[in-house]
Amino acid sequence: MKSEVRNQKSEVGTQKLILGGVEFTSRLILGTGKFSDTQTMIQAIEASGTELVTVALRRFNRDKPDDDLCAPLAKLKNVKLMPNTSGAMNAKEAVRAAQLGRELSGSPFVKVEIHPNPHHLMPDAIETYLAAKELAADGFIVLPYIPADPVLAKKLEDVGCAAVMPLGAAIGSGGGLSTAEMIKLIIRDSNIPVIVDAGLRAPSEAARAMEMGCDACLVNSAIAAANDPSGMARAFALGVKTGFAARQAGLMPKSEVAVASSPLTSFLS
Amino acid sequence: MSNSLPTWLDPSPWLNRIFSAAEVQRALGAESPDEKTLAALLSPAAADFIEPMAARAQALTRRHFGRTIQLYVPLYLSSFCPGGCAYCGFASDRDTERHKLSFDQVETELAALKKMGLEEILLLTGERTPQADFDYVLKCVELAANHFHKVTIEVFPMSEKEYGQLAEAGCTGVTLYQETYHPQTYQQMHRWGPKSEMLERIDAPGRALGGGLRFAGLGALLGLADPQFDLLALYRHVRHLQKTRWQAGLSISFPRIQNEAGGFTAPHPVSEQQLAQFVFAFRICLPDVPLVLSTRESAAFRDGMAGLGCNKMSVASKTTVGGYGDVGSDEGQFDVNDNRDVTTFCTMLRERKLEPVFKNWDAAYR
Repeated sequence: MKSEVRNQKSEVGTQKLILGGVEFTSRLILGTGKFSDTQTMIQAIEASGTELVTVALRRFNRDKPDDDLCAPLAKLKNVKLMPNTSGAMNAKEAVRAAQLGRELSGSPFVKVEIHPNPHHLMPDAIETYLAAKELAADGFIVLPYIPADPVLAKKLEDVGCAAVMPLGAAIGSGGGLSTAEMIKLIIRDSNIPVIVDAGLRAPSEAARAMEMGCDACLVNSAIAAANDPSGMARAFALGVKTGFAARQAGLMPKSEVAVASSPLTSFLS
Repeated sequence: MSNSLPTWLDPSPWLNRIFSAAEVQRALGAESPDEKTLAALLSPAAADFIEPMAARAQALTRRHFGRTIQLYVPLYLSSFCPGGCAYCGFASDRDTERHKLSFDQVETELAALKKMGLEEILLLTGERTPQADFDYVLKCVELAANHFHKVTIEVFPMSEKEYGQLAEAGCTGVTLYQETYHPQTYQQMHRWGPKSEMLERIDAPGRALGGGLRFAGLGALLGLADPQFDLLALYRHVRHLQKTRWQAGLSISFPRIQNEAGGFTAPHPVSEQQLAQFVFAFRICLPDVPLVLSTRESAAFRDGMAGLGCNKMSVASKTTVGGYGDVGSDEGQFDVNDNRDVTTFCTMLRERKLEPVFKNWDAAYR
């Protein structure tokens, strides 16, 4: 559904996630790698209720339908595709991959993902910034996967990204919200949606991210590597919804000291 | 001594160490596995812990690679070789007919492999010869890159400049097994030819990565020397490259000598049980490095190891020159023990709830 608002950061009272003028009811985004087979992946996507999934260009395979991740995803109703540039070592390659992804999928969304070290897969802030800037100028709806860096997040907002996607922990690590303090700073100052991408292991962590004020969560490994991917997809959907509802309802302020029933300062009156 | 190991690679400090069961157990629970962890898990004492090692290896493989197995296929371009590798079916003293694919024949083979759905191809030759020299390999890379998203080579060591030219032509990676890191064994096994220079070979993966190739596959040919020595040195080699070539995509293979063509007998035979233990140990200590198992191993062993440490496998391999498109046949470099075709192999993977992945790279990233 089209929206007049370009990118909607969730405030109390907002319901829809808006990215690049497109409205989403679900605040859970799914990755499509690591599943044991396409059917399991599709079932997990359906169970999650997601409306946006990301798929690596390197897993597009027009020559061999049973190896292709793009075509079966494209058939899903109510689910938009977001090609990602995983495999790109630098901005130049990511831009090329994004253009190819758009051509093949017809989707304006792109997840800019540049991790030049193929082992720990940490995002390259510099190249990601350069690619995001160029792709946003070229009309893409750009969602960059980034280190949890509040300064970088603002710079990406300034060049026209639709959202920023800081990592909670390393891809596939299940390390949870190890960057929580930095993500809080990003959320505090951002005018565009903030989506935690990578590292989440348990639905409770997704709930926590949403309670902190994240606009959505992107999850892949935790669902694909679960014993029952569809069951875990449903659980993450609930986690995200619960956390979002709690944020909307307003969490009680946390206080480090108990308030004594006999006030310590009663002598002052 | 020109063939002694540099200090950074020498695993000797670990070799006289005897590990206790308690040390193996501690290694299994290590939060940040290191070289000591690996030494403990490779040790004979760890053989009693094969089941918990397998469980940990499987969990780590799933976490980093998901429930997938990446597939690749080798294409032998030439069996000419001036080398004197004692264990190899293509050694120059072997009385076997030599073949080399013409460029037309290369096209025929490529078409046959492409038809099987494969997207990652490994091109192989022997050592550098006038019949199969750099220009020949370069041309074959160009031809393969027209059809395949990922083209890698297992040929002869080259200069950084030559590797750069191959990268330009569409080559993404190199496989270069050291065979053995044990200097005396290396000299015994590589009796003559360019490969007898051990250090030249050790440096080659670094040159390939420096020249612009993105992936380097390392390995030791198990059976030649004390596997503890070779595997600890291999680990050091990989760690060294991870630190000096931080953008490199490294992978490790576990080739094991069973019955080579020509009846070579391995002086340090490695059992399936040991091989499994070694793979698990590497998965635990290098959780994000792809581990590869080829069709040298039997179907039953490969089925069991799929996803249990290994996340990448060759399939439908022929080790003869011209094996796919019926353009010729002779004796292979080594015996293939898993002869299943792509469909049968993939059916097995799917039955084990593993997704065969044909394409995991895109030519856009060249």
